[in-house]
Amino acid sequence: MVAKEIERVGIPAAILTAIPLIPMAVGSNRVVKGVRVEHVCGNPLLSKEDDLRLQRRIVETALGALRTAVDRPTLFESDKESTEREAVNA
Amino acid sequence: MADPIRVLHYINQFFGGMGGEEEANAPPELREGAVGPGRALEQALGDGGTVVGTIVAGDNYVVEEHEAAMTAVRDAITRFDPDLVVAGPAFEAGRYGLACADVCVEVQNNGIQAVTGMFEDNPGVIAHRQEIYCVPTGTSAVEMPAVLKTMAALGLKLAEGAELGPASEEGYMPRGLRRFVMRDSSGAERAADMLKARLNNQPFTSEVFIKQYEVIPPPAPVEKLSDVTVALITTGAVVPKGNPDDMPAVFATDYFTYSIEGLDELMQDEWESVHAGFNTGFINTHDPNYALPLAAVRQLEKEGIIGSVFPRMYSLPGVATAQNDSLSFGAKMANELKDNNVGAALLVAT
Repeated sequence: MVAKEIERVGIPAAILTAIPLIPMAVGSNRVVKGVRVEHVCGNPLLSKEDDLRLQRRIVETALGALRTAVDRPTLFESDKESTEREAVNA
Repeated sequence: MADPIRVLHYINQFFGGMGGEEEANAPPELREGAVGPGRALEQALGDGGTVVGTIVAGDNYVVEEHEAAMTAVRDAITRFDPDLVVAGPAFEAGRYGLACADVCVEVQNNGIQAVTGMFEDNPGVIAHRQEIYCVPTGTSAVEMPAVLKTMAALGLKLAEGAELGPASEEGYMPRGLRRFVMRDSSGAERAADMLKARLNNQPFTSEVFIKQYEVIPPPAPVEKLSDVTVALITTGAVVPKGNPDDMPAVFATDYFTYSIEGLDELMQDEWESVHAGFNTGFINTHDPNYALPLAAVRQLEKEGIIGSVFPRMYSLPGVATAQNDSLSFGAKMANELKDNNVGAALLVAT
């Protein structure tokens, strides 16, 4: 609901959440899938470096959402394959 | 007399006696007979029905591992062969409500009637209003016996295949659907009667279903992120350690702002979450950036991908917050951001 008010004044807002269904149902337009309720922007099972990389990927997905024109509530998900590619290239 | 209706009850880890938020990731367990509030449900069913089994599951598990949880629900249907599934009631508990609504939709898809109960603003209603039979409740479990009574009566009626009357008469939340019925008078006459009542300050009931979410046209996308200031917001109740401003853990009526100027990330020994609606262990003992990803955002700022980060972060506890309150402080926050030329916002919702 807060995100909608921010959008009302013309500022694009991306919601990062583990449960995209809720903000999408109330009409938030740019919704980004996070990891879990207890750790939306990361995963405590990963090493510190990989965890920060995951957090960065989620934030980058959100930035991608902010750069994308949408006309209705839209879900953006991080590309899971890029994890593997990054791991190989690292 | 007909055999009693076979009822399968769905409850969460808390009502099932497993534990609180620390058990919210528990996968579904099937138990014989009634558990916890199921005993009161059994009483409310009287001779009409009997609780043959109970599904107990963690709230996080059901909303995050939807497919696996729904498989467990189908397994429970196979094992207990119910005529009716009763879920909850969940009151104002958001994930529990969503789980209850998910369970109802799943069992209905398998040809079995279902009924649940929760507060009107619960995400379960928001997401599935048209698909579920939901008894409206307040926000407190003290109403449990009365709510279960209404749920039991409605459930028995559904399971017996009886035709339901309008939502207002049967005690369930209007689903936003309209059915054809014969009325005693024409629409024009009823509208005129309503207008007369209104002009005379007499009570009347509108026939128009009004609960709707306002559609806000999406703002245009950001053209160049490297030119804009990005604000960070969290509903995870993140505060400086010790909670110096006494942010409440539930029922937000306003937001709090804290300086993040010069910080590369939220350090675990300096920040914590006081949120009362989920297990904050990972944030408080591992990494507060999970609820406000400053660490990653600063990297992107240093690399010039983001222009700058707004020097104050916004925080509030997104638990059982009344919708009207969140609209009004949301508007206040929005105007503050606009006045400060913020070009985009990242909001973490826990």
